Amino acid sequence: MAVSFAGLQEGDELPALELEPRLGQVIRYLALGWVFPEFFFDPEAAKAQGMPGTLVPGPLKLGLLYRCVAEWLGPSGFVREVRAAHRRPDLTGKPITIAGRIARLYQEDGSRRADLELAIINAEGQPSVRGFAVVQFFESA
Amino acid sequence: MPETSLLTDDVRALIGIEHPLEPARVTLRSVRRSMEVYFGAPQPADYAEGDPVPGYAIAGLDSDGDSGRPEPPRLLPNSLLISNDWHFERPLRLGEAFSRVYVVTNISERFGGRFGYSIDVRSETRFIDAAGEVAARSGSTLTQYDAAAARASEEA
Repeated sequence: MAVSFAGLQEGDELPALELEPRLGQVIRYLALGWVFPEFFFDPEAAKAQGMPGTLVPGPLKLGLLYRCVAEWLGPSGFVREVRAAHRRPDLTGKPITIAGRIARLYQEDGSRRADLELAIINAEGQPSVRGFAVVQFFESA
Repeated sequence: MPETSLLTDDVRALIGIEHPLEPARVTLRSVRRSMEVYFGAPQPADYAEGDPVPGYAIAGLDSDGDSGRPEPPRLLPNSLLISNDWHFERPLRLGEAFSRVYVVTNISERFGGRFGYSIDVRSETRFIDAAGEVAARSGSTLTQYDAAAARASEEA
């Protein structure tokens, strides 16, 4: 069901997005930029760098935050902004949950917008990423 | 910790210089590949020329022909991505072409904390449409630090 600005309230939660980023997904991401640091795809290279295994790259996690917001928003508007502050690494093959809530509903420059607080929570319940997004609704103010 | 700040006038002078990159175009292939990255599998993505496309497309545009992108100033031996972001003034459309510029937007230093003395370099790529307007930006902040010096400081 498409979300509507009028039907939203500050504090509403977005549906949680449960994911398990795989090594294959990381390799797809690296191929997109054609940059291949070995520690992102080779477990031995990762261990040599002091990491417990291959990590999910930060820019990939930014896109996952975007996905969570875009799937919730659907055709009702577009994502104006998404930001990720990286707090701790996430390992490939480990579950993560992307959570979000509406922090503010407002009008600006004749458009209806919402600020969203986001987080990626790891399997231990710790936030690995703190995020923020701004969405703009196509319905005008 | 260095005895003097590494943020010299020469380093500060790098802020704001626009470096043109190769232009980029929103193609169906780049949209599909970008979506596949974030979904982990191929997705239906049947967009026609001029259709708005998901913002994931910026990841494909940002990596398209990056040979003109200068390395950020390297002031300390280790670096770590601490934040990144995408901004859109409007949805991108299939077939749109953008000129691109890379800019270091800020360089700042921190004394103490998890990494000891560290320097944050904030940079972004701006995507400029045919009307000359910035349609989107992709930014990141890398913190530079000296892991050995931070360890030694912790042990002291």
